[in-house]
Amino acid sequence: MVELLAPAGNLAMVEAVVANGANAIYVGPRGWSRRRDRYELPEEDVREAVLMAHVGGAKLRVAINTNMQSHEIPPMLRKMERFVAWGVDGAIMTDIGAIAEVHRRFPHLTIHASIGANILNDEDVRFYRSIGVSQVVADTKLTLKELASRKEQMDVGIEILIHANYCYTYLGKCWMSPYHRLERTTDPSGKDQFKGSPNRGGLDYRVCLESWELYSGITRWEERVALKNDAFFLLEDIPRLIDLGVHCLKIQGREYPVPLVGDMVRFYRDLIDGYLAQPTGQPFDLTPWRATLARIEAGRNVARGEGTRLLLIEARQPVPAA
Amino acid sequence: MARQMNADGSDGIEDRGVDAFELNTSIANLRDLLASDLSAYDAVYLGDIYCRLYEANFLERPEDLREGLRILRDQGKRAYLTTYAAPRNDFLPRVRKMLEVAAGAGAQAVEVHNLGILKIAHEEVPGLPIHVGGFANVYTDAGVDVLRGFGAVRFTPNYELSLDEIREILATSGAAMELLVHGKMPLGISDYCFLLEYEEKWGIKCPDLCQKDLFLKQGDWAMKTVGKGILSGKDVCMLEHLPLLLADGHRHFRIETVSETPAYRREVGAVYREALRRAAEEPFRQEERWWDVVRAHARIGVCNGFYFGKSGMDYAGIRPDAAGSLLTISPSAG
Repeated sequence: MVELLAPAGNLAMVEAVVANGANAIYVGPRGWSRRRDRYELPEEDVREAVLMAHVGGAKLRVAINTNMQSHEIPPMLRKMERFVAWGVDGAIMTDIGAIAEVHRRFPHLTIHASIGANILNDEDVRFYRSIGVSQVVADTKLTLKELASRKEQMDVGIEILIHANYCYTYLGKCWMSPYHRLERTTDPSGKDQFKGSPNRGGLDYRVCLESWELYSGITRWEERVALKNDAFFLLEDIPRLIDLGVHCLKIQGREYPVPLVGDMVRFYRDLIDGYLAQPTGQPFDLTPWRATLARIEAGRNVARGEGTRLLLIEARQPVPAA
Repeated sequence: MARQMNADGSDGIEDRGVDAFELNTSIANLRDLLASDLSAYDAVYLGDIYCRLYEANFLERPEDLREGLRILRDQGKRAYLTTYAAPRNDFLPRVRKMLEVAAGAGAQAVEVHNLGILKIAHEEVPGLPIHVGGFANVYTDAGVDVLRGFGAVRFTPNYELSLDEIREILATSGAAMELLVHGKMPLGISDYCFLLEYEEKWGIKCPDLCQKDLFLKQGDWAMKTVGKGILSGKDVCMLEHLPLLLADGHRHFRIETVSETPAYRREVGAVYREALRRAAEEPFRQEERWWDVVRAHARIGVCNGFYFGKSGMDYAGIRPDAAGSLLTISPSAG
């Protein structure tokens, strides 16, 4: 049975996605995940989120998927010890050293290789499998053929992003944002913050979406070039992905309004259930689903467009002196 | 100039004092290799990591790779193979082939940016020392430990790390680190080349498109594009900070020139070789002519990358003129 995995950037979102049929939820402990801190949870809320998820029959995963610093690994392990004691069902991680340490310390904890690990080929999967990862998030650029190869050949769970951004660059292999603006601070707990670096847990300024001019030498060749960066919702591929046996369909969007994320989860819950209820071999008509998705997409586009506009303004602000 | 290796495949330069160092660079194809004066360098990485269609990429041409390795060996250089930064399944047969060619033709190491290729190299060409490249996301000492288990002997930390953070890794792991000291810093890699959209309009075809020295600009922001690869607009420049790098124990230094001209490779390399020889002296005497060379080649200016914990395009140092000026804007369309 395919799992529907939903984001939660706060406890209200945990409640909404559970109510709308998520099988599993992921949250980011403040300072340790690939989102800005306002979409992450303080530790006491992670504990509450575990309870809320379990009461609602869902699993709760913690995304500790920053590329952390060497000296942050011991405190991360202490944090993970508390999360495991509270009953989290899995950890989403990126740094290979941190993954290996967590697997060594908590061998029964399910470790998911984050989208930031940028797993692109079957040998990548085998590498991550060898250090303790049992589920991998497929890069958004992979084709169904590539996913099928992975599914057939490997004892590993595949997670597919059904709503996310299709960046110009590969996720986890891009530092355009901090090149232009990086603001390093320390939070009240002593954790270093890297505002501007998504790989290190800060926000992404989305500088790729700037209105770039193209120059050759001193001559402007193009007034406006676009580095492709589209947010997407999968629809047509969902039945095929379910047939392929992917383990998990994942929605991104901790930064969006709670009602919007609730709508996204409800849409995909009903779509998955509708497809699974269809007698085998009969065609599945996606027509009625398209209109609903268009409405959700319009709401998402408004939220995302405004978010991008504000981020690009913020990216131009001077970094305060330390 | 070629040196012997330790049993683990490392070169042990760190143990031989501040006078021993390796200055290396990168070259994508045989044409560029033949046009380059490499007298400033100890070692060269062969291949373009961004694109399989890059003009006559060493990573796609077994005979060219054999010839490139022979040329470097004849010049007394250490010859390394690099590999693709973002390989999909369909790249892997070619990668396996080139690893076999490199090992058979006497390459002295392979650089990997992808952990799948690391696993392949470790298992299938176990005698070939492995250097871990900047796209492999080495952020922690624990990460270095994991990679050592797969045969890695040298590590380029992720470009986002500061010198303090690199120092932390070095202190606990003792690993040989390789640092980019000059040139365009990689900022990202894509599976899509947007330049192809302009083939018809510009009348320039692949693989010539990405060799046109193209920059994306907006206000005071600039990035170099090689199609699938996005690089810093400014050149990372650690010239005045070389004594600090040596004092930290670093001995492997890279001048990134894969998308630069032979003149850039020769002239900047010569500056750094001379500067590195002097960097251990107190005081470190810099020459104005070094900066003339740096300024002449860094048309967008210079930066320090992330080495000082700031935005990558910032420059910290005692040379306020080093940041340079932006390209003069000529709004006429090409």
